[in-house]
Amino acid sequence: MDPKLSTKIQQRDQILDRVRQVLIDNLKVRREPDEIDPDTPLFGTGIGLDSVDAVELVVSLEVEFGIQMPNDAMGRVTMRTVNTLADLVIEHQEGHQNA
Amino acid sequence: MLEKQESAIRRSAALSLMDHVVCLRLSGTNAFEVLDRTCPAELHLRDTQMMYTLLLDQAARPLADVFICCDDEDFLILAEGMEAAQLRDYFLSQTLPAEHIQVDDLSQSHGLLSLNGPYAWEVLAALLGPEVIGLPYLTFFHLGQTTCIRAGKTGEYGYDLLLPREELEKTQARLIELGQPLDLELAGLEALEQCALENWFFNIRREGKADLTPIELQLQWRVSYQKEYVGAKALAERRRTGPRQRLTCLTAADKLAVGDEIQYQGQGIGQLVNAGFSHTRKDYIGLALLDTAYACSGIDAYQTSALIPVRTVSPPVINNRSMHVSPQLHSYGTRDQFEFPPLLIG
Repeated sequence: MDPKLSTKIQQRDQILDRVRQVLIDNLKVRREPDEIDPDTPLFGTGIGLDSVDAVELVVSLEVEFGIQMPNDAMGRVTMRTVNTLADLVIEHQEGHQNA
Repeated sequence: MLEKQESAIRRSAALSLMDHVVCLRLSGTNAFEVLDRTCPAELHLRDTQMMYTLLLDQAARPLADVFICCDDEDFLILAEGMEAAQLRDYFLSQTLPAEHIQVDDLSQSHGLLSLNGPYAWEVLAALLGPEVIGLPYLTFFHLGQTTCIRAGKTGEYGYDLLLPREELEKTQARLIELGQPLDLELAGLEALEQCALENWFFNIRREGKADLTPIELQLQWRVSYQKEYVGAKALAERRRTGPRQRLTCLTAADKLAVGDEIQYQGQGIGQLVNAGFSHTRKDYIGLALLDTAYACSGIDAYQTSALIPVRTVSPPVINNRSMHVSPQLHSYGTRDQFEFPPLLIG
């Protein structure tokens, strides 16, 4: 595998691991990290978070990654799965690198 | 035709006859014990609550995609992937000699209609009354001989009506009439499956036939590792050894088809197990079973064996209108007075 691709995949895996740990530590999701698949829905079905959890998740992600969650309709889109949260973190990090 | 159906599901409301869904009622003294022994998820349900799970074979491969509804002391099972007789035999085979359960095939006496769309609630409220608007996701209620279920597999507001066969035609006609001002369309299985694909809902007829366990399918949220059930040992063993492949969502501008190989630098890294054209997005959506080393979202370095570039993405690939439509604020008639975010993501 091309080292650039390998690095990109590793970086996302590390972010996914950190998001999983936030879910377990801060939102008390009773799952082992390897049970939380990247595309698992966070709300409704899936992990089953609710609107109270959503507030905690926003705060926790701000602390963990230093990101401001979008406070608009698009904010809901970024909070659908572990992977969509990782997308937001990566976008934030790339934005900082390019700034 | 398919475009209109998908558009109705995404933008207004669509009505579907769900003949592909099997409905059973489990009753009897040991209904809970037998169901708990077969259900891979923790069966914590109160009356009128329901859950979304699977039934597995001994090798932990999905046999059926099921909603389990707790109906007082009984359980309603809405299943895709098995015939009623197979499902009945499955439950009976897990019943111990001293146990008593009764399995009734409701598909013979009842039919299932489904309403899906950001304004599906509006059509249903016109039929059953405004109280349906407050029905929480994954719950149900009885109204006379009709059971109204809030579920769906399209990412939009979704309601199923389980009703006696003799009421089916009349109710269907009434819903079509009530849905006319909302541009309601009749949607078939193909449109429902395409919308399910866009929203990462499991399809037992596609990826469900790919000889995979919930681990490769990213469906571990539907199973527990803390209880015994059919397939539990095989699943625990797969978890111990680790999956070699994982289902990954991807998009492409050109045609994707089930069976297409996915390649990286000319080397095969996986295969498409589900694919379809999204009339909403105007591109192709696929589910590929990729080697775990390559199964990652946000990669645009892969292509099919027909040299069509693909991009791995984080589903859902639709910004569902239902996430932004509130029955307390909106209606189909006033939709133009509000600015909703675009349906497309990315």
